[in-house]
Amino acid sequence: MSAGRVWVPALFAALAVYPFLPIAEANRGEQFTILFVYAILALGLNVVLGYTGLLHLGIAAFFGIGAYTVGVLTVPFFPFQQSFLVAAAVATTVSAAVGIATTAPILRLRGDYFALVTLGFGLITLYAIRNLDAITEGTKGLNPIEAGPLPGVPENVDLSGLRVNGEWGTRWYKYPYLYFLVLGTLGAVMLLLRNVERSRLGRAWVALREDELAASCMGLNPARLKLAAVALGAGLAGLAGAFYALALRTTGNPQAYDFTLSMIMVCCVILGGLGNRSGVLIGVLLLMGFDRIATNLLDNFIQERFDFGGKAYLKVSGWKLIIFGVVLIVMMRFRPEGLLPEARHQRELHPEADEGEDRVPEPGDTGQKAGS
Amino acid sequence: MDRRKFLGVAGLTAAGAGVFLAGGCGGNSNTLKIVSSLPRTGSAQGQTDTIVNGIRLAMDEYNNELFGHKLVHQDMDDATAAQGQWDAGKEADNAREAISDKNVMVFIGPYNSGAAKQSMPILSEAGLLQISPAATWPGLTKVVPGDEKSGEPGIYRKSDKLTFCRVCPTDNVQGPKTAEFVARVLNAKTVFVLDDKELYGSGIAKLFMEACRTKEIGIKILGHEQLVKQNNYKATLQKIAQLKPDAIYFGGTSQSGGPQIAIDMKGENLTCPLIVPDGCYEKAFIEGAGADLFKDVTCYATIGGKDPSLLTTGAGAEFVKKYKEKFNKDPEAYAVYGYEAAKVFLEAAKAVGRKDREAIRDAVIKTKDFDKGALGKWSFDADGDTTLQELTISKIENGKFKPVKSL
Amino acid sequence: MLELFAQSDGAGGFGQYLLLGLVLGSLYALIALGYTMVYGIIELINFAHGDLFMLGAFLALQLADLWFKQVTGDTTGVLPVAALLVLMFVLTPLFCAGLNMGADRAFYKPLRNSPKLTVIVTAIGVSFIFMNLGLFWRGATPVKFPDLIPDTNLIPGSGLRVTWKDVMVVGVTVPVMLALTVFVKFTALGKAMRATAQNPTAAKLMGINADRVIAATFAIGGALAGVASVVYGLYIKSVDYQMGFQNGLYAFTAAVLGGIGNIPGAVLGGLVIGVVGELGKAYLGAKWSEALIFAILIVILLFRPTGLLGARTREKV
Repeated sequence: MSAGRVWVPALFAALAVYPFLPIAEANRGEQFTILFVYAILALGLNVVLGYTGLLHLGIAAFFGIGAYTVGVLTVPFFPFQQSFLVAAAVATTVSAAVGIATTAPILRLRGDYFALVTLGFGLITLYAIRNLDAITEGTKGLNPIEAGPLPGVPENVDLSGLRVNGEWGTRWYKYPYLYFLVLGTLGAVMLLLRNVERSRLGRAWVALREDELAASCMGLNPARLKLAAVALGAGLAGLAGAFYALALRTTGNPQAYDFTLSMIMVCCVILGGLGNRSGVLIGVLLLMGFDRIATNLLDNFIQERFDFGGKAYLKVSGWKLIIFGVVLIVMMRFRPEGLLPEARHQRELHPEADEGEDRVPEPGDTGQKAGS
Repeated sequence: MDRRKFLGVAGLTAAGAGVFLAGGCGGNSNTLKIVSSLPRTGSAQGQTDTIVNGIRLAMDEYNNELFGHKLVHQDMDDATAAQGQWDAGKEADNAREAISDKNVMVFIGPYNSGAAKQSMPILSEAGLLQISPAATWPGLTKVVPGDEKSGEPGIYRKSDKLTFCRVCPTDNVQGPKTAEFVARVLNAKTVFVLDDKELYGSGIAKLFMEACRTKEIGIKILGHEQLVKQNNYKATLQKIAQLKPDAIYFGGTSQSGGPQIAIDMKGENLTCPLIVPDGCYEKAFIEGAGADLFKDVTCYATIGGKDPSLLTTGAGAEFVKKYKEKFNKDPEAYAVYGYEAAKVFLEAAKAVGRKDREAIRDAVIKTKDFDKGALGKWSFDADGDTTLQELTISKIENGKFKPVKSL
Repeated sequence: MLELFAQSDGAGGFGQYLLLGLVLGSLYALIALGYTMVYGIIELINFAHGDLFMLGAFLALQLADLWFKQVTGDTTGVLPVAALLVLMFVLTPLFCAGLNMGADRAFYKPLRNSPKLTVIVTAIGVSFIFMNLGLFWRGATPVKFPDLIPDTNLIPGSGLRVTWKDVMVVGVTVPVMLALTVFVKFTALGKAMRATAQNPTAAKLMGINADRVIAATFAIGGALAGVASVVYGLYIKSVDYQMGFQNGLYAFTAAVLGGIGNIPGAVLGGLVIGVVGELGKAYLGAKWSEALIFAILIVILLFRPTGLLGARTREKV
């Protein structure tokens, strides 16, 4: 956990400076904005999956609920016309409430049964978004979402003088408003989670994850703790959804909130380091950055030099899934604790390094801790 | 362990720096770029291949050079592996990537009307020309009656200049004319309507149903069901079989279940004709269902404009010939639109004669009586739609679309 | 919706949908069996199972293409078609069994002592790779699977439509399920499997070679996916590279619904999903049928938290 202390602030500083550098492009910046949004989503999932160890396979549903709440509250199609701040607050609250309402009845389900029910919940939410045309406009998406500025934060400050190389060009005008807004929110979420981790609540979650029986014997209330985690996680996912809709200016295609996203988010969290905020951040930047930015750049780079006639196996994007798959498999084989492991998980996964523990690995002992 | 950690962080930094730098390097200023943004991974890849072929063919005719500038085609993908189809964020990315590259003069795409909703406002704001070869939702360019509340098309137009145009006829031509064909030629009195719940499919099904309900046409709609892609449609078709409709209309594409419906119609012994729109007007639809199947299932497919097999004279015939030579297969309907989109841009750019986004855009939008492409003479109207509002209806026979009627 | 109900529920309406549901359900059950067996033994939700099923279908398709192009041009004769069917039903399960065993040996075996999530993420990775291979193999658009079994109605005039295809699905799945049950109950390897599933350590102490038992389980699970893929191709008549995802999800749901790790449970779960899905399509509208499946799943799990036939085991502490 200590490694993150140095480079996470460094990373944030670099990202904050980035728009002022001569290499900065409005386009790349907006792509980063979407990555920050996914990072918030993954951090939300990390609260549920990493801190309390509940395998939730429907996090994308909260993302969708957040996005559509903002959509309903802001688009001209509906009579509400709220500002973004109000809409985002409502989106977070609604997602958290839905999280509590859907998790409370299923808390007694164990491990994989819990996973499947959350998966089912995610799919039902997706189908509801797609089918309830009166509210969600079906597959058309709610648009346009024109966000009002945050109160007290002017949208038209001219920062272009600070930029090393003159103008930003189209869409960033005088300064990249949304970029800083989402980056700032991501930073705030990181700080919030740091404090939560160190609080009574955070320590209780870890205790619960490690040994539920022992934790409840010590007087902790597992149900209440799990619900708190789901509420926080779902709320963050809803907030991410709100920013997603704001950044795209539409809720987009309902398909953007399906099971695949939940699955990729689980991969991001585990790849980065389950339970470690900084690791989760890296996981998202790598996996989603590869999917959304790197493959495009590589393909453009290749295309400018060779003409392969668009064959799937001659393009990086054609190999995307294989690359994803290989990365996941290799990581799980050689570094299952993720790129930046949380200390406690690290010890679980490398028992040989722990002299004090007399844990004898057995075939078929699949480790109840992470899953159930 | 610390060394590994260090290596990991160092690797990440390097990767990050790579991404930053790659973003920074620009292209050669002596090039002229045509960008296309189409779903290049996932299920729509078949058709988008033919669109790209069409664009490449048009560029070849100019030897990939225009007033001393090298012509470059950049084939962008608006689909992600995660979704297997077009992705709203990715389409917006592509649009922004295009506007930030000074060499890009035109954005050809997207394929899906839903994706167009993403890229249109961005490109409009930047004033970059956009020509879509396949997005047919009418609301992108004009007010759809009964749908005024959505604010279309004003919400896509961020500047006073028109930037979006399309070479394919819109669904509000296809829907009503198909209804006319079903009533007059097929003599159908009743119809059952299916759609795939996508923007395109349900939009065209709705327009078809509205036309059916008018007095002049007067087809009774026995029911309307929205199908989401499923393993099979036997239960739905059983239900339809009991209503005994004279025809079944499916608003959707070959990826969203078109071939499977034809397959299950044979399986469930439904003998009424199936009518499908241009989303199914492609070889993939026939191959997906099997050419032999259409001996037992009568199927009509409609497409705005002309089927390539009707292009027997002049530039059209020339296009078909050249396409066959270069790609070794018959052009499909969408190949023509890819070609036409590239061609109308290239001709206008040639006339302008300099690398100037605004001038080329205005020249393209103002195109009147264009006849250098494969489709004959047409113009863009005030909304940016093609005046070529013809509809070809083809019957599927011997593994081919055989045109039976033009309206 | 209501008027459709009245109109469509004529003679044989309900019975017909029930039949369609049972047929489709037994197909799901076949895929779910592979899931449940692997789960039962190493508690792995094998996300790659659906994509293995997809690759099996592609192999069967490839066999058909080769057969009709290289061996015989006769696509309607009884003998060549029967020979092809035998070929498909032998080679495809072998292929899938080999692939599944290979995946286990290469990817899952080194992770036997790792936590569940590690293995699940590996399975997701394998699933991505299989899917991409399928994309390279047959492209992105749906491909027609040869129509080898006639659609003639076997009991015309009864108001029900039962075709040779329906008979084929049930005729393949029921014996396979029975054989599997007998195998697990009465053979030595089957008993070893159950022992390993219940308590790997104790089984090992009793001299059971856990590695071999697990490999055998993967082989059998893969073979079931192979059989299912051929049945699917023959019944649905069209395959595409994304079919593994959707059907894998159904199969996973069926396995959990029945009580994951429980063989009769997987069959029951598959049938429930098939019937609910088809009745949903018929009476509620096709766009709500999937939502209905998952809604029913959740309701059932609320009342029976370990699935329909799952044993209420005490949580290991």
